[in-house]
Order: sequence, then C-alpha cells, then structure tokens
Amino acid sequence: MEDQMKSLLRQLVRRIPIRFLKVTLEKWGRLTVAQQQNIDFTQTKWALADELIAYSEENRLTLRHITELEMIYVIDNPNQGMWHAFQLVDPESDAPAVELMQFKEQFKSHLNELVRNVSVKMKKNTDEAVWIRIAWGDSCSRPNNMRPTYVVHYLQTPYVFVTRLTSKQKTLLSQAMIIATRHQAIKDAHLSGRNFSAIRDLLMQEYEQVFPAKYPSALVERNQIAALPNIEREQAEAEVNRLQMACEAFGGGKLPQLQSVVYKLETKFKDPSNQTFTEREKPFNCVVTFTSKNLLESLRHCASSGIASTPITPLLSSIPRRGRNYFVITDKVSGPSSQINPTV
Amino acid sequence: MNKQQVDIFPTKQGDGRPLNMEPAKGVLSHLSALEVRARSRQVQPRQRSRVEELRARAEALTVQRDRLKAEIHAHKGIEKHKTRLNNRGAAAAEEEMETEDNENEQLLHLIARVMDLKQLLYAHHIIGGYDITKTRRGKGICVTLSTAYEGVYLETYNMELDVGPTLKISRHNVPPFIPLGELCEPAGRQKDLRGFLDPLLTRLNAFAGRRQQLRLVKELHPSVTVMESNMLCSILVILLSTPREKTTLLCTLNYTDHTRCLPTGVHFDCEDKKLLESSKWKNNRKLLMETPVHKALGAMKNMDCIG
Repeated sequence: MEDQMKSLLRQLVRRIPIRFLKVTLEKWGRLTVAQQQNIDFTQTKWALADELIAYSEENRLTLRHITELEMIYVIDNPNQGMWHAFQLVDPESDAPAVELMQFKEQFKSHLNELVRNVSVKMKKNTDEAVWIRIAWGDSCSRPNNMRPTYVVHYLQTPYVFVTRLTSKQKTLLSQAMIIATRHQAIKDAHLSGRNFSAIRDLLMQEYEQVFPAKYPSALVERNQIAALPNIEREQAEAEVNRLQMACEAFGGGKLPQLQSVVYKLETKFKDPSNQTFTEREKPFNCVVTFTSKNLLESLRHCASSGIASTPITPLLSSIPRRGRNYFVITDKVSGPSSQINPTV
Repeated sequence: MNKQQVDIFPTKQGDGRPLNMEPAKGVLSHLSALEVRARSRQVQPRQRSRVEELRARAEALTVQRDRLKAEIHAHKGIEKHKTRLNNRGAAAAEEEMETEDNENEQLLHLIARVMDLKQLLYAHHIIGGYDITKTRRGKGICVTLSTAYEGVYLETYNMELDVGPTLKISRHNVPPFIPLGELCEPAGRQKDLRGFLDPLLTRLNAFAGRRQQLRLVKELHPSVTVMESNMLCSILVILLSTPREKTTLLCTLNYTDHTRCLPTGVHFDCEDKKLLESSKWKNNRKLLMETPVHKALGAMKNMDCIG
C-alpha cells in the first residue's frame, strides 16, 4: 500500500504541469499552510515528488488521499486521453428517482460483487456531474491505481462518459451502471474525442441551437440588404439564407470543439469511368475521416460560405443532430442513395 | 406689538435700527425685541427655501401634466387607430389618405397595430396556444415552448417535428433529463399534437419553476446552505439553523411528481428529536409542502424559526 501511494504520487507530480500543481495542491487541502509555502516549485519534478512524499508521510496520508488529489486534477483538466460516450436505454419506472447516495451505494456494491478487487471513489462536481474513479484489480491482484478508469455521469440523464476502459472492464462497468441507474441496457453512443467538454456539450445540448425563427428574417439583415445597390441584393439574400441553414444544422454561436468524425463506407463503388470497380458485386469498403480544430465550426463555415451545398446533407447534419461522430454508411436495399445506419 | 409684526417681514429686518433707536424703554422690551429678532432670523431662510421648494414642485407638476397630456393624446390617437383597424373595410381608403399626410400618425398607426398583435399573442398563450412555424414547405413544424414561473419568463425550448403518418421529433433542445420519448411517443403515433405537447410543456414548466425556486433560495436566503440538489431539481437538501435552540436541521425536499413545483415529501433530520415533534416544526413541514420553498423559508425566517 505504501509503495502504491508513493508511486502514484510520483506519477501525479510527473503528469501535472508545474503551473497547475500549486492550485491543485491548494484545492486538495491535505498539506498545512506552512508545508505549502515551503514547497519549492523550481526544483526538479523528482525532487518535488520526494518533498511531497515526505510531507504526506508526515501528515499520515493514505492512498485514498492521493487518489483524491488525482481526481481534483482530472476534473479540472479532463482533456487527456480518449473519452467515449455511452447511452443508457430502456429506463425502469423508478429511474428518474435515483439520487446520489443511493446511486453511490448501489454502484459500489454491484461492482464489488462482479470484481472482488476494485476500488471506487466518487466525487460530485459543482455542475452536478458525478465523477467516478475506478481502479481495477482481479481475483488475485490488488486494484491498480496507476491506470484508473474515469466515468462521468449526470444523474437522471441517459449519458455516461468514460475514459481508459478495456473491453473486459466495459462489460463489468456496464452492468454496474445499468443496475445503479435503474436502466435495462447501455449502448455505444458512437461519439468519442479528446475534448471532454465538447462531447458532453453535444449530447447534453449545452450549446446554442438555432431553430426556424418564430419571426422570420431579422429586421437588421433586411435593412442591410436594402442599403446595398440592387445588383447585390439577390446574393445577399442567398447568403443570409445559407447562414440560417448552416446555423440550423450546426448551431449558432460558439460550438462544441469536436475534432474528428469518421464515416465507414460500405457502399458500392460508382464511377462510370471505372468499369472494373463499378461492376463489382461486393461493396467498396473505405473509411473517411474529417479532422479539424473545431469540426462543427468548419462545417458551418463551409455551408454558410457556399463551399458545401445547402440544404445540408444529413451525412453532415447528423453529427450534431444525433450527437455522434462515427457513422457506418451502407447502400439502401431498395434505392441507390446511401443512408446512415446506426450500428453497434 | 405693531413693531414686532413689522419686524417679522424680511424687508424691514436687515438694518436692525428699531432696536438701537429706542434706548429709553426698559430691559424687558429690549429683550422681547431681541427675541423677535432672533425668531425672525430663523423664520426668514426657512420661508425662502419653502417658497423655492413649492416653486420647483409646481414646475415639476406642470412638466408631469404636460407629459400626461401628451400621453393621453397619443393614447387617444392609438385608440382611434385601433378602432379603425377593427372596422377596417369601410374606412380603409380614407384612413390611408390621412396616414400618408402625417408621419406621426403613421407611427401611431404602427404602434396601435403592434399593441393589437401583442394582445392577440397574449390571448393566444392564455388559451394554451403554441407558437408553431411551418418548415420545409409543410413537411415539418417547429414548436416553441416557453416556460414561466410567477410571471417571469424563463427558458424557451424548441422542437422540430416531422409531420408524416406519425409525429416524430427530428431535433430539439430539451434537456436530456426530460424523458421526451416516453412523454411524446404514444400521442405522436396517433398524430395528436396537443396530447404530444401538453404533458411536455407541463413538465418543462414544472422543471423551470423548481429551478427558479432553487435560484431564489440561493439568492434570497444566504444563511440557508444548499447541501444537495440535482439537474432535474427533483431533490433538494438544505441546512437550516435555528436561532433559539442553537441547533442545525437538515431538511430534505422530494419532488417525485415531476409535473409540479411543490414537493411531495418533506423530511427533517435533527439531533434534537423533541424539536421536530414540536407543533412549530410540524407547521413548518406543512408550510414547506404547500408553499414554494423560497417563500416558505421567508415565512419561517419571519417567525424566527430559522436564522
């Protein structure tokens, strides 16, 4: 236990950039004020870790305290590693009544039933999110605190966000999760990315969505058009129209910073100039990936500036509308056009 | 006597001669003269300021009268336009002639029209109407659901629906903890728009109301600590302190009926069991069950039950 504590603390000091370390330690509040003031943040990380280990021993801190420090850091800086979204489905009638204490108890006890050696720590953030840190072990090994899984869930919502999870752990987590939240199943939401808040905002609808306005075409825009010479009038109207359509498809204002979207094509190859491929019976499989600093903003710009045609194809508008960034596209059985199929 | 009266007036007061000119009279008369002088000195500035005050007031009232007159005039104009709007057919040609003459009249006409439309919209909301816009050339509709609590408009939610053989939600910005599918699916299958929207609006309104109550608790009662709440605002745990008994109480409010703003259960936890059995706290429980929490806390504070 002692060794685990030391190595976890050492790992943490290595991971946390110096500029965040001071704030994180202050938030943690397990060191005395004098100890905090004594820390020399200019020394090497190795020496810094030694100093913190010494203080922790002096204050008789345990492994749980160090995991607490890790949680504080991860909650404040969640954009490390891939986050995957899952969706709980088929809620039981008492699902909306689940509250934090009950959830905590149920989740821990069910996970403990499934795996003997597992250590779970939960913390509720100020924005009502429940952060769960799981250190997994198995029947013969102690929980490995060096590679914990992080799970974020907002109670009463169907969404679960997970990072650092192996497929074996996924089954265990899913079971504990559906029992604790009173649902019947959980499925992959086909949304993943490095930016945690982007994924969360997209699914929780925490961004400005634009709807066909109650009062069509804003007065300001109309006045602007009237002020321009006649020749530009039609173009400007089209531009306003495109912008409206782009915003309706992708949202207005600042958009969640989604960084990639993947389309897996399982469609027949169609090109009149390439007979060999077009005549093949089997679908032509390929993967198309779009990446950008802010993909939704890029797509919105493409549509509003006329690079992408409007009305916007469901292939693109499905990203925010259905909150996912992984699609499998197959040929419709009856028609030639492609469709988006949800796949697991 | 006559002298005194004269002295009161400021015009004769300044020189102070009457006193010095009559040295023959006695000490008493001298004193009374001094007294009069002292008194009149006090009265004089007061009077002057009073006059100024009254003058300013008169001026303010005149301004106000003029403004009200103008307002009445404008209002009359608007009313005239309104009645004209209502029985438009007959007077249409004549009206147009008139309005073109005068820019001011035209403005009044527009104001009248806006007021008229606003009232119509208000009436539409009162009878439970929804704001619906046709989209995609009639293939879909966009519904606006506005929520309000205690006369204050809160969040507005939108929904785009496909109008096919059944009603289907194509996109929306309703928060994920509102069970849209469960609420809307049965009615959607029968294409019953009202049955589709009414329960949803009730839920949204109740949620907005509960959230507003939580906001008000935090804002109006800084001495009350909110220990626990959730996104749906279906649970609220607050810490209360009693000034008389010098103890703290944990109060849990459960809102299991998500279509209402009032709790379905109130539970107190306290070390002092006797306190909870007192009639005062039984009343408080009733109060919390029957009134919105921020108001109930205000009433409890007034009765000195909580600090």
